[in-house]
Amino acid sequence: MLAAFLQSSLVRLIPVGMVVLAIQRTIVVDLPVADVIIQFVLAFVATAGAVGGSERGAIAGFVLGLMVDLVGGTPIGSTAIAFTVAGAVAGLLALLVADPQWWLVAAFTGIGAAVGEAMLPVVRLFVGQENPWPPEMLKIVVVVAVAAMVLSPLLAPIARWSLRLRRAEWDASRAEETVT
Amino acid sequence: MAIYTVGRRRVILVLLLTSALLLTLDLRGNAVLDRGRDAFSFVMGPVEDAAEVVTGPVERLWSAYNDYPDVKEENEILRARLAEIEGTQAAAQASVIDFNALLSLQDLPSLEDIPTEVAEVVGRSSNNLDQLVEINKGSLDGIRVGMAVVNEAGLIGRITATNLSSSQVMLVTDSRYSVAVEVLAGIGDIEDVTTDTTPSGLTPDEADDLSSPPDDVPEATSPLDVLAEGDFPLPDSDDGLEDDTGEAADDASGDESDLPPSTTTTTTTLPPAIPADGSPVQTAASADGDDDAPADEDEADLPEVAKEFGLLEGAGRGRLPKVAFVQDNPALTTLQIGDLVQTAGIDTSLAPAGIPVGRVINRADRPGVAGPLIEVELLADLDQLVFVRVVQFQPPPELGQ
Repeated sequence: MLAAFLQSSLVRLIPVGMVVLAIQRTIVVDLPVADVIIQFVLAFVATAGAVGGSERGAIAGFVLGLMVDLVGGTPIGSTAIAFTVAGAVAGLLALLVADPQWWLVAAFTGIGAAVGEAMLPVVRLFVGQENPWPPEMLKIVVVVAVAAMVLSPLLAPIARWSLRLRRAEWDASRAEETVT
Repeated sequence: MAIYTVGRRRVILVLLLTSALLLTLDLRGNAVLDRGRDAFSFVMGPVEDAAEVVTGPVERLWSAYNDYPDVKEENEILRARLAEIEGTQAAAQASVIDFNALLSLQDLPSLEDIPTEVAEVVGRSSNNLDQLVEINKGSLDGIRVGMAVVNEAGLIGRITATNLSSSQVMLVTDSRYSVAVEVLAGIGDIEDVTTDTTPSGLTPDEADDLSSPPDDVPEATSPLDVLAEGDFPLPDSDDGLEDDTGEAADDASGDESDLPPSTTTTTTTLPPAIPADGSPVQTAASADGDDDAPADEDEADLPEVAKEFGLLEGAGRGRLPKVAFVQDNPALTTLQIGDLVQTAGIDTSLAPAGIPVGRVINRADRPGVAGPLIEVELLADLDQLVFVRVVQFQPPPELGQ
């Protein structure tokens, strides 16, 4: 079991996730853009989905979402659900294109992040919170999505390393070699 | 190219179901998950400290560049505001002390009896939904879930979670927040009436002699500074945040001759009759500017203050809190813009009575028996929280358990 853990992506994902979360909670939270707090962790999750596929994206979303819930005081599982969906959606979109260009990865990341951010109040609504929608929900979703798109090229290599993606899995020419 | 398979879909479903299961367990209350929170917060502590050290200079540089114009403008406004407030501070301080003396004479509870713990805000919610901040005092410092949190201006929120050395504060603006409040109706209509006041009942000549405050004037006068600690200034960022309630409380209960700044003749704008702490004390204020007139002659000019009780609820990010269930009785008074809102401290309320919350800024009448819906502008600036006080108050029903 220990060996399986050590060989899984979690052994990298957890420490990287902690650093990403710490950055979110220290600098990112204090530097809002247009009065919206950029979701750095969500951007990482969506990027992981866009470069690693829906399964890995969902796993990254679940793990990092749990971390956010544990340290942020939100109901445990609420952010995890939203982030799991975000990672899965970004990964599903990545299935549409073989070997997506960086800008396509950024676009998939943005869409995944938008879905994740929009999911957060939906989950709160199911939990029983009254009126969880902020008045500027649309603006928040747009800003979070655009920020995730901008951050995507920066986060993509980190996400690949965290998910133990071998080059053949994301490089088209090598992927074709692997298939053949 | 990644392939979407049944196996992948199954993994996603399992993760979503696991999240839902954890959510259910957490909402029902689970000791294991609570310990998990504590443990993870403990582990994350050093990582966040390291991130703070690394990112601090960048953040400060950005803030310096971005905030400078606003800070300069804000500084000018605050200077003007400070000059205005300095006049009313003395009146408020004297009134509060008189009020506390009256309460203690009648053997009534007051905020003076409640200890507080000073804490520093060390973090805030990292998402765009919750209105939460984190403070650096926890259960080891006597902080308990439900305690009210205030700053110099008034109510901020309440403790919703505690770790050993940190706690989470839900702000008044969070949509899950609610507290019983009372609206001091009948004071909102008298603002903009300029009047000369002689607090503490001194003659103008005596007041002139005391117009220059002595060196030992306390610097900070917050509601709880005045009520509980008298001259207890908020600490600088590095001085340990010890709470020396006892000594300061003695100072606050001293006689009137001990009050250095409370005797300045001031020209101020009503309503100074309701001091900064929100205690419903009416000072003898002359609307016609006749300082020599005895206080009882001016009583006819004082506003009739009536209390209306209601429930203040946060409305979420970017929205003003609202007070509902107010029984507005026009026969007694009419709730209006400018009326002061403070905690009611009813039997089961988590906040003690008398903590100022804000002022009525908008009123919407509703048909039927629902009563008016009142929007409240908070006295505390929740975007600029640095030091706060946790009011270590627990309601009688909870203490009895």
